[in-house]
Amino acid sequence: MTTPNHRPAGQWALIFRRFKTHRVAMWCLYLITTIYVLSMFASVIAPYKRDAISLDNAYTTPFSTAPDGSYHVFGTDHLGRDFFTRLIYAARVSLTTAITVTTVSTLIGIVVGLTAGYFGGIVDTITSRMIEFISTFPTFTLLLIAGSIAIQNSDDIPIPALLSQTIGVIMAVNEREGKQVVMIMVIFIALGWTGVARFVRGMVLSIREQLYVESSRALGASHLHNIITHVLPNAMPPIIVAYTLGLSGALVAESALSFLGFGIQDPTPSWGNMLSFANSYMFNYPWMPLVPTLPILVCSLAINYIGDGLRDALDPRVQTEVTRAKRDALLKAIRDRSAAS
Amino acid sequence: MATFLIRRLIQMFLVLIASAVVSYVLLYFAPGGPMTGLRQTQQSGRNKMSADDIARIKQRFELDLYIPYRFTRWLVGFPAGPVTIAGQTFLADVAAGCKTPGMVRLRYPDGRTEIIEEGCEVPITFADLVDRRTSRGILFGDFGLSQVMLRDRPISTLIASRLPYTLQLMGASILISIAIGVPLGIYSAVRQYSRFDYAMTTVSFVGSSLPTFVIGIICILVFAVGAKEAGFIYLPPGNAVSNKDYVIPYIGEVIASSTLDRVLHFIMPLGVLVFVNIAGYSRFIRSGMLEVLRQDYVRTARAKGLRERTVVLKHALRNAILPFITLLAGVMAELFGGAAITEAIFNWPGLGRLLVDSIERNDYSVTMGLTMVSIFLLLLGYLITDILYSILDPRIRLS
Repeated sequence: MTTPNHRPAGQWALIFRRFKTHRVAMWCLYLITTIYVLSMFASVIAPYKRDAISLDNAYTTPFSTAPDGSYHVFGTDHLGRDFFTRLIYAARVSLTTAITVTTVSTLIGIVVGLTAGYFGGIVDTITSRMIEFISTFPTFTLLLIAGSIAIQNSDDIPIPALLSQTIGVIMAVNEREGKQVVMIMVIFIALGWTGVARFVRGMVLSIREQLYVESSRALGASHLHNIITHVLPNAMPPIIVAYTLGLSGALVAESALSFLGFGIQDPTPSWGNMLSFANSYMFNYPWMPLVPTLPILVCSLAINYIGDGLRDALDPRVQTEVTRAKRDALLKAIRDRSAAS
Repeated sequence: MATFLIRRLIQMFLVLIASAVVSYVLLYFAPGGPMTGLRQTQQSGRNKMSADDIARIKQRFELDLYIPYRFTRWLVGFPAGPVTIAGQTFLADVAAGCKTPGMVRLRYPDGRTEIIEEGCEVPITFADLVDRRTSRGILFGDFGLSQVMLRDRPISTLIASRLPYTLQLMGASILISIAIGVPLGIYSAVRQYSRFDYAMTTVSFVGSSLPTFVIGIICILVFAVGAKEAGFIYLPPGNAVSNKDYVIPYIGEVIASSTLDRVLHFIMPLGVLVFVNIAGYSRFIRSGMLEVLRQDYVRTARAKGLRERTVVLKHALRNAILPFITLLAGVMAELFGGAAITEAIFNWPGLGRLLVDSIERNDYSVTMGLTMVSIFLLLLGYLITDILYSILDPRIRLS
């Protein structure tokens, strides 16, 4: 840290310093960043073309040479496509999907939850009822149904071309594949924001009653000023923890959906759909499902460790709120996963 | 209490109707359905169907009725025909649907022609509905007929054939995980920062961050594929019973569909679910207990000289267990809904897989039936939780 000594370090610098002491979390952060950055250079790193099919080379075992003399680090799949290449591209698809989904649904959740919690009244009643209603739906069932509809009707569902092209560029897929991924993301966001909104609303309700907010209001500060300088910064730490947990939740949910065949569809690689194919050959080639399992395992563990580290690093002043937030997040995680188990 | 119950029941009913509308609309706009295959035969040229055939098939799936009528017939079994009051029939001539749609040939200025459906040539009136099979309505427990999976057989048969497997798997796994997970959570909270606590938190951390399908696949690879290859006792990788006798080292021959066979098939899916649930439950109980153990009343209880056991189990646990009850609200829905992914991996013939299969094969009536039941059970679970909460926590008054 190069913070000058004469000035006290800011809250975020403190948090970051404390986060750095959590060794495992720090390593996990490096790991995830490395994986994601490397996947952005997929076209440079990948030894083969993403969809290069060669049936003669199918089922090559990892660390061995295929019949035609090409070397495959992680072997090849049932169509002879290089696993390593596809894993890198899939990292790009799966991680980008998880990050986009969590970020957008967290942002929506913050805006809705803030409005409902801060202003209360009729806005609060309506949004709370809506959130309650959406959360009575069995989420995973709805994901399956919506996924299946979106996949089968992909030509009839209007998605702005600009959006699917942008996603296509980020994920290195063509526009049609990009459109499909966008649809899956939209479904996840539509079902995902309610949890964040409810959580933020609860926190804002308690922060709003704090004396510092009240005195700021008494001094004549505008609502916008109060929200930006008082409410949001105090609500931020638990939101960040929830965000990391949400990130691993989205990653797992996307791979589960793709694993069952209702998520991202085959030529577009995702760890989930690669696993779903590998799974059907597991009795003849037991190594095969291990290849796509490895990144899912590593990434979900790593993201959870980062969340753990962040939780420990957050300001002790809001510790009670963080514990409550932690428990809410845990409750949500358990609920989500029992739906998706 | 009575006012609370009445208000909640009304609320529940409204939510149920609203979710029925939402899921019906969602699935109505869904593609596929019974007409997809027919449209393909229509285009192939051979075996071309007559308009009568199409009308008949549409009638069988009620696709010829207008959506509001289709929906109410599905929901409450109305209209099932003209309304008869005191010997007089009403509404017999009201159109409920369209048997043969009118065809209009459009000719565009550039010479193209296109045939579109417009208007109605032969309408279906309420009087025509009398001879149709009507379900009594899903609200009254009649799910109607399956369209694809078990053609024209009641969905309740389908559900009844799968329900025992799901109840068995989910019931056993939930009971075992509560029985093990809660004590583990308490113990590691009481012995915070002990070696046991560290081991426990690490294992449960890993268990609750890994997706179920990853754990399931690793289990199959180790205990089914790997163990078989190594010549150890191995477990069958999938299904609930096998259809052939097989030999397992050290155990001997296992006769198909014997109790031993069923038990062997049951172990792995059960183990995976129990592991995942224990990880979640114990972490949850641990964090709750840690918070409660710091409270003043616990210190007071200790200061009074109560035994540690009494302090932990009576004073702390009773408060720490409250949030755990909210967690169990979803249990009933889970009991019924099953675990889709675990069932898919282990090929377990339960309701979770039925749901996945029905969505995969576009058998909407089955999907909707299952969704409705799980929404109902979820709502019921919330209600029971609220009541339980007020019983266990005297500070909360239901009003």
